[in-house]
Amino acid sequence: MNLTRRSVTAGLVAGVAMPAVLRSALGQSAPIRIGMVLPVTGPAADSGKYALTGAKIALDRVNKGGGVLSRQVELVTEDDQTTNPGAVLAFSKLAAQSDIVAFLGSIRSTQNHAMAPDILKTAKPVCFGGTDPALTKLGNPWLFRFRPNDSYSGRVIAEYGIETLGKKNWALVHSTDAFGTGGAKALSGSLDKVGAKIAIDQGYPNQSQDFTPVVLAIKSSGADVIGSYFTFDNDLAIFARQLRQLGVTIPWVGSASIIVAGAVKLAGPALYGTYGVADYAVDASPESREFAKLYGAVSNVAPDNYSSWTYDAIGVLCAAIAKAGDTDPDKVRAAILATQGYKGAEGEYNFDQFGDGLHGYNIVRNEKGSIVFDKHIEFTD
Amino acid sequence: MSVARATRTAASGLSRSAVGHAVYAMLAVAAVVATATVRTDGYVANILMQAVTYAIAVFGLSVVLGLCGQINLAQAAFFALGAYAVALGTVDYDIPFFICLIAGMAIAFTSGGLLGLSTLRLGGHYLAMVTISFQQILTVVLINGIQLTHGPDGVGSIKRPDLFASSQAYLALAVAVLAVAGYLVWRVADTRLGRAMRAVRDNEIAASAAGIDVYRTKVVAFAICAMLGGLGGGLFAGGFTYVSPDQFAFSDSIVLLTMALLGGIASPVGSAIGTGLLILIPECLRFLKSVPGLYLAIYGLAVILIVVFMSDGIWGFIARIFRRPATVSPAPARPLVLRPADSGAAAALEVRGLAKYFGGLRAADGVDLTVRRGGVHALIGPNGSGKTTMLNVISGLYRPTAGRIIVDGVDVTALSAHRRTIAGLGRTFQNIRLFRSMTALENVVIGAERDGNTQVANDHVALEERAQAALDFVGLGERSSDLVRSFSYGHQRLVEIARALAGNPTVLLLDEPAAGLNSSEKKHLHDLLDRIAAQGLTILIIDHDMTLVAGVARHLTVLNFGRRIADGDTLDVLRNPDVAAAYLGAE
Amino acid sequence: MGSVLQLLFTGLGIGAVYALVALGFVLIFRATNVVNFAQGEFSMVAAYLMVVFAVDLGWPYWLSFLLSLGGMAILGAIFNLGVYYPLRNRSFLPVIISTIGASIFLANTVLALYGPQPQVLPGWFDAPGIQLGQVYLDSQYLLIIAVTILLVAFQYWFFEHTLLGKKLQATSQDKEMAALLGIPVATMIMITFVYSAVLGGIAGILVAPVLFVSIQMGSTIALKAFAATIIGGFGDVAGAIVGGLALGIIETFGAAYISVPFKDAFAFLVLILFLAFRPQGLFGERVAEKA
Repeated sequence: MNLTRRSVTAGLVAGVAMPAVLRSALGQSAPIRIGMVLPVTGPAADSGKYALTGAKIALDRVNKGGGVLSRQVELVTEDDQTTNPGAVLAFSKLAAQSDIVAFLGSIRSTQNHAMAPDILKTAKPVCFGGTDPALTKLGNPWLFRFRPNDSYSGRVIAEYGIETLGKKNWALVHSTDAFGTGGAKALSGSLDKVGAKIAIDQGYPNQSQDFTPVVLAIKSSGADVIGSYFTFDNDLAIFARQLRQLGVTIPWVGSASIIVAGAVKLAGPALYGTYGVADYAVDASPESREFAKLYGAVSNVAPDNYSSWTYDAIGVLCAAIAKAGDTDPDKVRAAILATQGYKGAEGEYNFDQFGDGLHGYNIVRNEKGSIVFDKHIEFTD
Repeated sequence: MSVARATRTAASGLSRSAVGHAVYAMLAVAAVVATATVRTDGYVANILMQAVTYAIAVFGLSVVLGLCGQINLAQAAFFALGAYAVALGTVDYDIPFFICLIAGMAIAFTSGGLLGLSTLRLGGHYLAMVTISFQQILTVVLINGIQLTHGPDGVGSIKRPDLFASSQAYLALAVAVLAVAGYLVWRVADTRLGRAMRAVRDNEIAASAAGIDVYRTKVVAFAICAMLGGLGGGLFAGGFTYVSPDQFAFSDSIVLLTMALLGGIASPVGSAIGTGLLILIPECLRFLKSVPGLYLAIYGLAVILIVVFMSDGIWGFIARIFRRPATVSPAPARPLVLRPADSGAAAALEVRGLAKYFGGLRAADGVDLTVRRGGVHALIGPNGSGKTTMLNVISGLYRPTAGRIIVDGVDVTALSAHRRTIAGLGRTFQNIRLFRSMTALENVVIGAERDGNTQVANDHVALEERAQAALDFVGLGERSSDLVRSFSYGHQRLVEIARALAGNPTVLLLDEPAAGLNSSEKKHLHDLLDRIAAQGLTILIIDHDMTLVAGVARHLTVLNFGRRIADGDTLDVLRNPDVAAAYLGAE
Repeated sequence: MGSVLQLLFTGLGIGAVYALVALGFVLIFRATNVVNFAQGEFSMVAAYLMVVFAVDLGWPYWLSFLLSLGGMAILGAIFNLGVYYPLRNRSFLPVIISTIGASIFLANTVLALYGPQPQVLPGWFDAPGIQLGQVYLDSQYLLIIAVTILLVAFQYWFFEHTLLGKKLQATSQDKEMAALLGIPVATMIMITFVYSAVLGGIAGILVAPVLFVSIQMGSTIALKAFAATIIGGFGDVAGAIVGGLALGIIETFGAAYISVPFKDAFAFLVLILFLAFRPQGLFGERVAEKA
């Protein structure tokens, strides 16, 4: 080859420019990173596995479609140990990585409360699944909820029980933790508003092992329908069994835990014929069915709300980034808030000013072990 | 020993202490300044916040468990009390942060004291169970007392003080508090209270006999532990600005306890190390998270290994490697002054109609005993005749079934053991009861600092001088800085005697002092007893060695089957046929 | 009246579970003066072993049962050698912490190997229960009560009427003296740990069909069982049984007639009352320290 001055100059120019060219090329294909806080250890470890599966399915879907802004999307996870300080540490560890664009928070409301101050400081969008209504009223502009909050679950249980089942004398059974207490408060509030009677409001401590006193109290209260907020599968299953053993057959409409795969498997026939409010139900919509199909390809456990909200969160987040054309937090935030009519596995997302995306629930029925979709109740206020 | 050498010794001791203080102060200031100025990301700040607040709570455990030997499995409950005081106070009632913090500490202090009251009759596993119960009940109340505590939702938006509103400033505040708390805990071991706690930990009965109010010491230890827990909790609440009941459960008490044990239970440095490790290790092991349970399994295994192989915790392990033998020479010998009280009553010790029944067994059955002032009085009798029982009732270890005990004219029957020591009773034990973690000097200082000791002022130098004098008196002056567990049996007994003498007793009770001594040691003991008696002290001695007894005692009382069968001058009693029959059997 | 009987039955049922676990506590405590915080985990591990053999591998119930208990015996032996033996001469506190470490290790190893999902274990009987008038008798609870009675009877016979049992008692009362009499103390302690582990395993396998098999199933029961041993009289076998049954009944009736959410607090309140007024429990003896 002839080493002419021109070729040397061209070579030098190329040599100098190459890193910049390389850099910009690499920069364009540097992945978009989303942080995820989830329980890998601790009592909620099983739900963490589902949440991760749902998020990964959504991620694969997005990446196969070419990614977002021509970049692949990547998930970075940290264990929150199912404790509040653990969640704070996990989140702050993720937040320390400045290239993370947005986050998936927890399905447990107290953990989200604990992380809230750090979330405010980090100033990047966080998608979470906890249902405590207060979380979107904190004045924190970075929190976005991907499950309908408990004010809706309460209203839906009340409306279904009274309007569809025609029962007006309620027995409320709920765990004494944050979820159970908040849910029961929402439900009793809704019942009071329509003038239904609350025959008994019975709390129980988690990991109770025996529910005989609760069942006997329900029996003697004369209630004709049960509304429940259970946190743990095993409590639910033991209660259900003892309920049937002691001869209680009144209708039962429960919060979402009543139709999750774990509880259904543990309780078996004791839960046949019960109703649940489910933010996720397989047959609720074509999108939910598609999610079930995708989920079935990677797992032999049926999908439930532990995985559907993370699936939707990734979907909405990626769509919002694409619409914003940028990973800048304020732009992404505006894009999320502007998301209307997004059809996800959990339902149709119409974000209000507070950050709540969903405003209704599905009612499903346990038909001899399989979950059958009944109807969807949506609120527009 | 020359005055010059003494001065140099005293000076070196002082400077060592001053250097130690100076180093600590410098490190503390450096830490606070570093925290306030060096910017770190939120993750590191959060870890530090958790470590600092937990470490303060663990300091509390190093006091109650490390120093005082009482188990407390409810530290998370006291942590919660402090945290909720700050949370509810600033959020619900708009009370300024520092007032809430102090209120939280006060509430924790009081509850700790109340829990400590349960130590009156319980120890070991029972105490563990009481503390666990307190913890569990508090958790249930926090969750269900929604009107007061906000229930399981927890309390958010906790307000920090205006001056320390930024995370960095607040963290610096926390570090400063940590430094101060650490210093106080470090120094408390060498105070009178600290010595009392260590004595209670090492040997409760001996502590009581040395004049320490064991019960009150334990209650105070619990209260201090709880107060530190409350302080940590209050700072925690301000640091994370959100608290909920699920953060203060029994499992968290276990975590705090494990931190204490891992680092080394008896020192604040150990506490800090243990806390740091147990917060950092899970963070460093995050990469193992892919398999759920794996790193906690390793953590559990590590706990077992550290407990098995590093019994004093990590700091204890390190400290042992670096421990140098004591090189401080003792201060010059000043003669021991024994000035037993003399109220003018006829007898130094009088026992009337003393009876002690254990169920159907009449260990002591209506015994009268008068011990004249000055000189040695011996109580003898065959095995099982009730001698040690008598001594134990007289010194207050047992409650008498009937009868009265009068020391120097004062009826002490209703007084507890430590109050009788204050009233002028001193004693040694058949089974040697020394404070094994301490030096000979410290053991004797504890004896010297009993309330009501007229022979010594209540300052450290005077106490040590008296203790040294007592050790010199029994012949062990050279070894005052050695740990008592390195002493031979006979020497340990001498230390016990020195401890009793340091308290300037009116009556000295000796329980089988010759037991286990060889003949030369017995001779030494004989001389010692003569010297003690020569100072005007009254001695009541129990022993089997007739040669010793006959040699030192002017007066004998003989017991058999709990009853007095002879009493009078030594030679007369020894010739009494009933006495011979009791020992050797009748024809 | 029906509810009272029903509550009584359930209370006895859950109380029998506490009693079985408490028995394991007491035995180890009497032999070694150690409170074993991992006793609940023994029950949990045995239940998981049953799931592996009977459900996952599908082997016959009785065979799985024996294999699981065999596994527990091995675990008890390893526990003795690894957790207690190195610390046998130290004070009780390091041993407590060591057993706590062991409980964390066991729980998380099972979690790592099996995963966090609660599992179903079928009961011994096919029939779920009998209706006797107004009272429903859950068949598994009946089995638990029956087995507890049998075990207590067996244990009484074993400890009082066999030489091995007497040797075990001797070891638990005075290790040094037993050694001087030619009793192999280390072997006796090993037997005690193995037997306690098997006992805990039986409790876990019996209770699993009712409470389901989960990682945490052991720890909640163990704490209550520990309370039961104190109520009954620490170190007394009959006391553990009575204490366990009493606790089950107190809890159940307390929940029914006072407050369900405060159910857990009752157990501990009763415990505090006992400790305040009668620390030796119902059957224990006061022990004094020789001066």
